[in-house]
Parts: sequence; structure tokens; C-alpha cells
Amino acid sequence: MASEAEEGGEVHTTEMTTDDSPPSIVEEKEEKVVSTEGEIVKTSDGNAQESGSSSLPEGLSLNYEEARALLGRLEFQKGNVEAALCVFDGIDLQAAIQRFQPSLADKTPSKKGQPKSESPRSGTQNPATLVLEAIYLKSLSLQKLGKSTVTNKILVKHAEAANQCKSVLDSVESMFQNGPPNIEQKLQETVNKSVELLPEAWKQAGSHQEALASYRCALLSQWNLDEECCTRIQKRFAAFLLYSSVEGSPPNLASQVEGSFVPKNNIEEAILLLMIVLKKWYQGKTHWDPSVMEHLTYALSLCDQPYVLAKHIEEVLPGIYPRTERWYTLALCYYAVGQKEDALNFLRKSLNKHENPNDIMALLLATKICSEERHLSSEGVEYARRAIIHTKSSDAHMKSMGLHFLGNCLGKKSKIVSSDHQRSLLQSETLKSFTESIALDRHNPDLIFDMGVEYAEQRNMNAALRCAKEFIDATGGSVSKGWRLLALVLSAQQRYPEAEVATNAALDETAKWDQGSLLSLKAKLKVAQSSPMEAVEAYRALLALVQAQKNSSGSCKANVEDDSVSEFEIWQGLANLYSGLSYWRDADICLQKARALKSYSAATLHAEGYMLEAREQNKEALAAYVNAFSIELEHVPSKVAIGALLCKQGPKYLPAARCFLSDALRIEPTNRMAWLHLGKVHKNDGRIADAADCFQASVMLEESDPVESFKSLS
Amino acid sequence: MTSDASPQSIQSAKAAVESLAAVLGGGALPDTLASGDDPAAALLHDGGVARAVVGRLRGAGSGVGNDGLCRWLYDAFQSNLPELQLAVLRFVPALAGVYMSRAVSRKQLAGFEAVLLALYAHAAAQRGAGEPETVALPNLANPSVYHDAKVPPKTKAAELDVAVLSPALEPHGTMRATRRARIVGAVLELYHGKLALMPISSKLDFCEFCVAWAGNRSKLDDKPRIAAPASSEPDGGGAAAATEEKWRRVPLPWELFQPAMRIVAHCLLGPTGSDELKAQAARAAECLYWRAAETMDARALLATRSLVRLSQMMEEPIPEPSFSGGVENMAELEAMRANILSTKN
Repeated sequence: MASEAEEGGEVHTTEMTTDDSPPSIVEEKEEKVVSTEGEIVKTSDGNAQESGSSSLPEGLSLNYEEARALLGRLEFQKGNVEAALCVFDGIDLQAAIQRFQPSLADKTPSKKGQPKSESPRSGTQNPATLVLEAIYLKSLSLQKLGKSTVTNKILVKHAEAANQCKSVLDSVESMFQNGPPNIEQKLQETVNKSVELLPEAWKQAGSHQEALASYRCALLSQWNLDEECCTRIQKRFAAFLLYSSVEGSPPNLASQVEGSFVPKNNIEEAILLLMIVLKKWYQGKTHWDPSVMEHLTYALSLCDQPYVLAKHIEEVLPGIYPRTERWYTLALCYYAVGQKEDALNFLRKSLNKHENPNDIMALLLATKICSEERHLSSEGVEYARRAIIHTKSSDAHMKSMGLHFLGNCLGKKSKIVSSDHQRSLLQSETLKSFTESIALDRHNPDLIFDMGVEYAEQRNMNAALRCAKEFIDATGGSVSKGWRLLALVLSAQQRYPEAEVATNAALDETAKWDQGSLLSLKAKLKVAQSSPMEAVEAYRALLALVQAQKNSSGSCKANVEDDSVSEFEIWQGLANLYSGLSYWRDADICLQKARALKSYSAATLHAEGYMLEAREQNKEALAAYVNAFSIELEHVPSKVAIGALLCKQGPKYLPAARCFLSDALRIEPTNRMAWLHLGKVHKNDGRIADAADCFQASVMLEESDPVESFKSLS
Repeated sequence: MTSDASPQSIQSAKAAVESLAAVLGGGALPDTLASGDDPAAALLHDGGVARAVVGRLRGAGSGVGNDGLCRWLYDAFQSNLPELQLAVLRFVPALAGVYMSRAVSRKQLAGFEAVLLALYAHAAAQRGAGEPETVALPNLANPSVYHDAKVPPKTKAAELDVAVLSPALEPHGTMRATRRARIVGAVLELYHGKLALMPISSKLDFCEFCVAWAGNRSKLDDKPRIAAPASSEPDGGGAAAATEEKWRRVPLPWELFQPAMRIVAHCLLGPTGSDELKAQAARAAECLYWRAAETMDARALLATRSLVRLSQMMEEPIPEPSFSGGVENMAELEAMRANILSTKN
């Protein structure tokens, strides 16, 4: 009863202060009065509550709640968390808040133009502040206790911590419903801390939805948080969104400006927050935290957006990352988007002898990039050798990787050297490094595959077959190129029926959508077996598939591109098939279709030449062949065709024919037709021994000729 | 978790528990399981059930066409009760782990495949036909709830890049080898979506299999070790004493690598609070990193490298409160303290 009346009195004084706000001196006086009054009230109130137990002298400047708050804080400071909790437990926040509300609210109007952070009772603190801080400390204590508890009460403890913390914020919120929160410093600090603690407490309590909500609330409500605190919350929230797997609804759209970005899911929101934190750092508003960039790297790599990541890494101010590290990371990003030259340029800088020439990972990446381009293969060999030398002997895995990539580079290099001697040297080196690599790591299927292709290209078909089988075993037949290697190797051994069985098995294991390359292989196998009708059938199925893909590509984008066969190739294949059967009209139609899809193509022109030649229009045929290899300088079939055609023209042309054929063999040493015609040239020229050698080579190669070049595999 | 389960669903869950007990054989399940208030939740969280089921899944000969346990998993999932579906998802790590490792050896695993295809179909239906899961990349030039942008409001919003997080799920009625990774990957995505509700033991299972999938290569332990000593303790059932099987390394194309990595990331950096799980996940992350290095797959390398680095970083602590200014009225406080403490106890 008594307390009610007194509270009424207090409200009254508040109103009075509100009335005469302008004169500040008066106001301060008034306030002093108010606060002392308040104290007295509280002291008596506390006594009333704690009936009997109070043996405190009257007129004490602290009331019951405040005392407990202070005492608890002392215990907390000393690290006696449990004792602190004991003391804090006695505080009835709701009751206290109800009483404090006016005493805090009265400051709001008096604020104008006056730094009010120095409260009149500068020595002791505002009682509300003190109590709120106490509750905050209570929840912090609960949290600490929760961490050290081993029993299954952890969650309960944390949940209680969260609830306590929430009550602090609720109280503050209700106290400042009207008017902007202009809070004295100490209280603001408590608010900051509570805002920051709350989501963590929820998180630890396992209440992820509440954690999500409180994170958002922390960032979207007007808590007047300082920049550092806000940044910390943003970082933690971003990490929470990325890793918690909580299905959260996107933030409320009530206050959205038009054109603003609205995250639709957790990852978008996380990326947004991380970008904001990074921007703050660029603007000097916060300190550098390496984890932000790592989280962003993870998130963007997850979405396969290395290009965006590269932009962010480029924006990082100098002095954060060692430059070689930055270059390596950028190289990874650019390599991932397929800009190999840029990636390699970064690595060249980084691997310079003045920088970090022996960085194994950078060396390996450089080797890998070089192994994909013929003209870079020599450079790649250097990097690989350096990597292998500098790998610790204990690190078999790394060494094996180095040897693997070295083999790839050597294999590529062997294709561009001009002398036979060098080529065979490089080829044996290639196999050697693959073998060494496999000895160190027997479980890498890619290694086995690369070795198989290398064997096949060197026409060691038995070894290639072994590798192909091993690869299929190691991958459980789940990788399409393994099946294709097997079928091609079998076809090279002239074991067409078995090759077909392998192709059919592969078709069984492949979804309709990805069957393109297998169907085309099947068609070629049928051609090789001289069953043209079945080949046409296979091409028809392939055409239907490609058309279906084309129709649906409007809706589901270009994800069918990578492994599929283009329509052009189908028409081209059909044209070759028909012209091989001397169905000239059909062949012509197919060629027209092919030409409509791709105007200038060496293959089309070559087929055209072939048809003209068959009709004895040698001059036109020659023109077509020449056009073909002027479109594609390294087009071997047209070179061979020119050589063959010239050979037939009489002795005058034999040197020219020989020249073209040798050129073709330089590019593709295993082209049996080139050897055959070269033999004819030698024979016509009277060099019988040479001719015999060439014919022999041609026969040997014919026995190991695949229906499709092994190059199509990699 | 014990929320608003309707009596009917409790009934179904009870039936499910009973049929599971029948599948696993006598004594494998605690008797109290079916009689509890929420049998579905018990299925999800009970350690004994988990040990018995996982032990059976790992055991020799599991996953064949007439495997009763696979049948049970399939039926339980098709019941369309969310609680029961969760209980099935709990076993996704063991299911996918054993399946992938054995499928490489091209064993007949029709039982596993039926369950996985059912889960896949569910994931596809949930997503909507032909819909990829996309992420719009924020552009800071546009304002958002969390920041203001200085662009004049008249200008058009800057274009957003859209990234595909997970491509559209085509319908698959059979498990073709070349689509295996995609199907299992989609199932892992489904599992990932419910990770927050999964017990830690399930996540531990996954990390363990992830290490095996990647090929056991971690710089933390030099010798490749055989996986799975952890949970093969004397299991409650005793029926399926897991014969030690070496889980094989499996092909990890991005479509499988990515969801696996996301789960590992959750275990490593998510709010789980289990040190054991974190340690296992750190190992898995490292193995994935080295696996990615084998082919120099740049995006996988970048992502896993970040995970490994983050696992080594200390989390920024929440600042402790500062206590500025001594406390006045020390004497009073001391007096009160005795008072308060004495009344408390």
C-alpha cells in the first residue's frame, strides 16, 4: 500500500520536471531531489519486501536490489560465479524495473542540448543501471556455469541465461518505449553486452530459432550499438547463418526501400553481412579480422563464384596478406573461372626467385595449369621438377601429386617436339613419372586414367586396357570417360564386339541426358564393323537426344554443354558415313546441314573434297582440301588427302606430296593413312626399302587404330 | 521436440518402433522405447537404437535387396510423418557412407538404393521440378536491411549475379553409376537441411565416413588408419557385431564433394558445442582439402582451405564486462553480504 502511494508521488515529481524543462540549473536541483527521494523509497521498499530479515540501519544509501547487485558483481569479479549467482538470484527484476521506470524516463525530456552522461549521482550509479547490469551478470554467470557443467543440465542453464539476458533487453525496451533511447554510459554498456550475449546464450541453449531472431533483432533494432560491437555481432551472425543449418525465414520486409537487396536465404544473408563487414574495414571503421575473409571464401566457393571472390581479395589493402599468398589465392580463383593465363601470371610472379620460388602448392598449381596447354608444357615440367625436389621425402602424397602432374606435362610436351628421338625420350619419361607416382599413391584413379591414355597413345594397348579396367574398378564405373577409354582401347585392338559391350554397359550406367558421347562412339563402332544401317540408327538416336536437349535448354540453362555432342558433329559423322558408302546425295544433304550449323569448318571441307575426289574432280577436290587446312593449320586428314592426291598426279608432284605427308606425321605420328601414302610416294620414287618401312608402320598402326582419337578423352 | 504430435502419428511411430524391433531381433531395442510419450523422438535420439541400427547398416551383407532394415527405413520414410522421416534421416551418414564405399566395388545393393532413391525423390519433390537452388549474390551498391547505400534512389538497382548452389534435380528411377554421386549428394543436401535436429552421434558417423571417402589422408596422423573403431563398441543388440570393413575411397565429384563439405563445415563451425565432433570434423576437412589438392580443383581447394584455417582460428570471444570504478560503501556491502548469504542458505 505504502509503496504504491510513494510511487504515485514519484510520478508526480516527474511530471513537474517535464513541465519546466528549459532552465537547466533548476532542473538539476530538481533531479537531485528526485533521486534522493527515490532512494529513500527504495530503501524502505526493500525492507518491506525482505520482511524481518533486514537488520540494516535506516537511511542507508543502498537498497536491497542495489546491494545484491553490487555484492554479486564483487563476487563475479573475484570469479566466484556460483556465489554471484546466489546473490543475484534474490533480485526481482520485474519489481525493480517497475519502480525504476519513472526515474529513468524522467531524463528523456531533459536531455536537449546537454551532455547528460554524467548523472547527478556521479559516484554511485543509477539504480536501474545497477540492477540491469546485475541481471546481465547473472545471465553471464549462468552461461559460464553452463559451460563448465558436464551433465545434461547444460541446456537448461543456457536457456536460463538467455531468458535472463532477454529480460534485461525487454526491460530496457519497455523503459524507452517513448522517445529515443538516450541512456547513460554505463547502462548503454550493459545494453551492448546483453544484446551481444543473448544470441550466444540461445545458441548454447540449442534454441536456434531464438538465436536467429535475436541476432536479427540485435542488428535491426535501435540499440545504439557501437561499431565494434555491431561488427562482432554481424560476424557471428554470418557464421551462424552459414554453418548452423537452421532453416530461417528471411528478414522482415516491412521496412524495405525499393530496389534494396532482400536476402532470400541464409547464404545470401551471410554473404551480405560478410561483405558489409569487409566494407567497414576498408573504410577504417573496424579492425581486420582474418576469419571474415575465410568465411566469405568458403561461402563464395560453395556457390562456385571464384570470380567474385577474386574481386574481394584484390580489394584487400596491402599489408594484410603476404603478397605471394595473395597471388596464390588469386591464381586459384582465376584458374577456377578458367582464366588460366591470368592464373599462371600470378603464379609466375609468386614463384619468381626473389619471392617464394619453392612454395609447393603454388608450384603444383602452376604445373597443373601448364599441363593443360601444350604450349606451356615445357614451363610446367620445370615447375614440377622444382616441386618434386622440394617436397619432403616423408610426404609421399605431395610427391605423388608432383610426379603425376609432371607426367601430364611431359606427355603434352612429347606431342610438340619435332624430332622422333626427343619424342620417344619424353614418352618414356612420361611413363616413368606416372609409374613412380603410382608407386607412392596407388589409390588415385585419375592417375591411373592418365597413364592409360598415355599407354594408348603410345599404342601399348595391353597396358592401356589394364589401366582402363583398373580405373573402372576404382571408380565403380561412375565416371563416363573410363568406359570410353575402355571401348576405344578395345576398338583399337579390333575387338569391336567387346567394345560395343563396354559401350552398352556404359549406356546402362548413364542417364539419358548424358549419353551423347557414348552414342556417337557407338555409331562409330558400327561404322567400323561395317554395319552402316545400325550406325545410321545410332546417329538417329543421337540426333533425337541433341534436339531434345536443345528444346529444353531454354528452361534449364547450359549445364548439358560439357559432355555432349554437338549437332554439327552428328551431321558431319553422317556425311562421312554416307560418302564412305558412296551415297553421294545423302552425304551432300548431311554436309549442307553441317555447313548451316558451322560455316567454316575443316572437317566439312575435307568431306567435300573427298566427295569431289571420288567423282574425279581432282582440281576442285584439291582446292577444298587446301581450304580445309588453311582454316585449321594442323588439320591432319586434309594434309594426308592432299599428299595422296598429289601422289597420284605423277612423278613431278612426288616431292610436294612427301612434304605434306611428313608434315601430317609430324603432327600425328600415329596416322596410319599418312604412313600408307608416304609408302606409296617412296615406292613411286623408287625407294623400295623406305616404302616397305612405311607400309609396315601403316599395317602395325592399323592393328591398333581406335575408332576415335584418344585425344577426345582428355 | 515433443511438440504437437497427434495421437495418430504417435500410433504410427509406435508401430514403426515395433516393426524395427522385429527387424533387429530380440533384445536389440530397449523395451521402454515403444511405450514412451514420443516414440519418434526416441528413435531419433536414443543411443541404443542408433548403435543397433548403425551396427546393422555397417555389418556385412547389409543393403541387399531383401534387407529388412532397408525395408524398414524405406517404409518409415514413406509414412510421411515428419518425425519418423527425421529418424530415418538420422541414419543417412551410415547409409550413404556404407553404400558409396561398397558401390565402388559394384556390389548389389538394391536395399540401400531403394532408400536413397526414395530420399532423393523426396528432395526433388520438395524443391519442385527442374528448379535449381540458387543464391543471389548481394551487391553493396544496393541498400539492404543491414546497410544503406549512397546511390540516389532513382537509379535502377544494380544487377545481381545469381549462383547455382545446387542444380535442378532430375527424376531418377534407378541408380545409374554415373548419377550415383548426384543422387547421394542430393540426399546429403536433404540431410544437411535437417542437421540442426540431428544428434551428434549421427554427425560423428558422417565425419568418419567423409574421412574414408576422401582417402584417409590427413597430416594429423601420418599412417592411414582404418576407419570406424569408434562406434563398434559392444553394441546393445549384440546381434550384428560389425566385422571390421575398410571403407573405400570413392570418387568425389563436386556434386558430392560440395554437400559433404557443407555438412563437415556445420560440424566444424556450427553451434554444436561438442569438442569430439569438432575434432573429427577438423580431420574430415583436412582430408577433403588434400583430396581437392589431388586434382587441384580450385574451388574445392579454396573452400576447404578456409575451413581448415577457420578451425585453427580462435573464435573472437565476447568481451568480458569491465568494472570501472571501485565500489563505494564497502563496509555496508560487507555487512549486507553476511546477511544475504545467511538468509539464502
